[in-house]
Amino acid sequence: MSLLADPRIKVVLNELLLHRRAAVVVFAVVNLVALTAALTWPRGYTVSATILVSERNIIQPLMQGAAATTGVNDRAKIAREIINGRKVMNQVIDAAEWATPDTTQSRREGIIDRLNSRTTITNAGNNLIKIQYRDNDAERAFVTTKTLADIFIKESIQEKAAESQAAFEFINSQATEYHAKLVAMEERLKEFRIANIDVRGSEGDITQRMSTLQSVIEQSTQELREAEVKKKSLEKQLSGEAETATALSREGQYRQRIAELNSQLENLRLNYHDTYPDIVRLRRQIVDLNESIVAEKQRRDQAKVTGQVVIDDSVMNNPMYQQLKRDLSQTQITVDTLQARITEARRQMSTVLETGKRAQSGEATLAELTRDYQVTRDIYQDLLRRRENARVSMNMDRENQGLTFKIQEAATFPTQPGGLRFWHFIALGILFGALAPIGLIYGKTQIDSHLRIPAPIAEQYRLPMLVSVPHLWSELETAELRQDMAWLGLAIFGTLCVMLFFTSLSIVGVV
Amino acid sequence: MSKIEKALAKARRDKGLALVPVAPRESAPETGRDMTPAPHSGSGSFSVADGESLVRASEAIARMHELEIRSRGELAENRIIYPEMAGNGTVQAFREIRTKILQRTKGRNGVIMVTSVTGGGGSTFVTLNLGAAFAFDAGKTALLIDCNLRNPWLQTLLKDESPPGLMDYLENADKDIAEIIHPVGIERLRVIPAGGRRDIPAEYFTSPRFKRMFENIRRRYAERFVILDAPPMTDSADTKILADLCDYVLLVIPYGRVTQEQIDESIKTIDSEKFLGVVFNNEPRPPEIDWKNLVKLSIQQVTQLFWAARAKIARLTGILKNSRSAE
Repeated sequence: MSLLADPRIKVVLNELLLHRRAAVVVFAVVNLVALTAALTWPRGYTVSATILVSERNIIQPLMQGAAATTGVNDRAKIAREIINGRKVMNQVIDAAEWATPDTTQSRREGIIDRLNSRTTITNAGNNLIKIQYRDNDAERAFVTTKTLADIFIKESIQEKAAESQAAFEFINSQATEYHAKLVAMEERLKEFRIANIDVRGSEGDITQRMSTLQSVIEQSTQELREAEVKKKSLEKQLSGEAETATALSREGQYRQRIAELNSQLENLRLNYHDTYPDIVRLRRQIVDLNESIVAEKQRRDQAKVTGQVVIDDSVMNNPMYQQLKRDLSQTQITVDTLQARITEARRQMSTVLETGKRAQSGEATLAELTRDYQVTRDIYQDLLRRRENARVSMNMDRENQGLTFKIQEAATFPTQPGGLRFWHFIALGILFGALAPIGLIYGKTQIDSHLRIPAPIAEQYRLPMLVSVPHLWSELETAELRQDMAWLGLAIFGTLCVMLFFTSLSIVGVV
Repeated sequence: MSKIEKALAKARRDKGLALVPVAPRESAPETGRDMTPAPHSGSGSFSVADGESLVRASEAIARMHELEIRSRGELAENRIIYPEMAGNGTVQAFREIRTKILQRTKGRNGVIMVTSVTGGGGSTFVTLNLGAAFAFDAGKTALLIDCNLRNPWLQTLLKDESPPGLMDYLENADKDIAEIIHPVGIERLRVIPAGGRRDIPAEYFTSPRFKRMFENIRRRYAERFVILDAPPMTDSADTKILADLCDYVLLVIPYGRVTQEQIDESIKTIDSEKFLGVVFNNEPRPPEIDWKNLVKLSIQQVTQLFWAARAKIARLTGILKNSRSAE
């Protein structure tokens, strides 16, 4: 009731009553048009095949990082490009017997265009490609779809294998090229090393060697100076020293004996008289000794006069002199040695300086050569690794282990035509037949500015609204209306019967 | 339906159409018309004297001489409502209008002009049925005056083809008003027909005689509602003159035939104090239909069609046979 209370619905119902005949005519006409469309609409058979593209198989985790599987993002797009391509299409029209070898090229083009327009390729799921084909002929639709799916898979696999093969070959050629480069580099490095075999050691080494030599020179010079001073001093001492030296003379020995006896005599005279035997003996001894001294003096003086060397066991070589002579000789040797050492050190010094100069320029060249060599070696090693990955990928594709295509849902022979079916038209006809008059009337009331609802009189125009008087149906009018309604009801019923009749015929398969 | 109406209906059934007044007539019984002098119907306060006059008025109404009362079928055919009328609410709608008018007039009588926004808008239908609705009440009468001089209609209710009407009264000074008031076969309802077509009615409406006639009519019965059927507001200036003479104006807006502009145009000419309100007329509400009967009717129609077709075929085959045998 609340629905009927809506003034718009009320107006539509009122107008439907007023234009009942036109409404029924519109209903019947729309139904008739729908029936005609249903009878003349060409039947379409839609066949679809779903292809599962699997990139996750048992090989993948095993080959993780080692092989790159051929991946694709928008599979449907790629599939569309493959399928819509001339190559596949030509194969399909040959395989599905669309064309014979005699068919002209322009005719083939036409067939290809028609095939393209009837084929739809969609992403049915994450990894599912759905190939759909629509045709009037069920068998042709089936064969074409099946062929499309088969050729698509074949082409895809071939393309994939070719792709990985090409990738391998490219990497392989690169690896070979780098290998040659690396060999050349190694050769150059070797040559350089041979040429500069003496130039070893770094700048630090040279500096160290030079400072060592410098310190050797300095130290040797110092030592040389010391040795020379020593030599001079020795020579000076040697000139003032007697070649031989007499040891203590006999005179001296006698006097020393006399002194000793005198002291003993002194001691005894303190206690004894001069007559004491011992004193007497001592005195005698002293006298004897004095006589010996005189004799000695005489002998020496005599020797001097004759010039005759008196070989005396008390005369001997001077030990000091001997010592000095030995020291001097030793010092001379030291001086000579030091001088030679300094000369040698200086020579070495100049050699080291020369080497240092050569090392400076050689090191830059070596660094460059080494760097080039290392870069090339790294790239080559990387390429080798990649080549092996590519080889595995290629083998995987060759063995169909990478991106695999599998027909998930094969094309099936269509038994029922797809698309808009007969009963769809009938249902739509009845629905639109019922809605069309209502819509038309609603449109009319919306466009027409004539007043049909009493509500705005009070609300919009602010007029006191007394009442809405319904049409007073006279007996005759009521009778006419009843008859009218009966006829119109019959017309609607008849239309529906016709529609249902044809629908049942279509179900049975007559139309 | 009020109790009085029910009682009257019963009386009518019991005694046929003889609702003949029993009480002696006070004046002009020989005319056979309701020329009884109207009791005082002042516009002042309601007093004991008013009450007495009301009683007298009711007696006068009861004494009104009626012609042959029209049957329900006749009424329905003429699209006139009657209390027992079934249907889609037309009777109820008119009762509602009557109630609203009475609320507005505080129970007193008055002259109500009914006009439509556009020609053929149903002002005559509303006038007639509003009069009928007033006349439902045994204590009230209604007088309808056809002021639509260009396109008069009310005379069709009368048996006389050219009954003396408003124009006769206005053109002939010696004509008595009682001569132009006609009963129409509906209790307590009287009609003054137009009395001929006139192309320039304005001069009649502005005449002093017309105004006097109004006064006379208004005073005749305290319980009489005078309802004028006026031409559409947008058609002529006559309506404006009539509106000035009337106490109240009722505007009829026909379903689906007028625009807002037309309504605005009509409203402008109506004095807002006199404006009673709007009646939205002729809304196409379906009558009560018995769907079972409708199915039965459909079957009947199909059967008839079938038999007719069969008869035709039989006739055709007969003709063919005859022609063959003739050969």
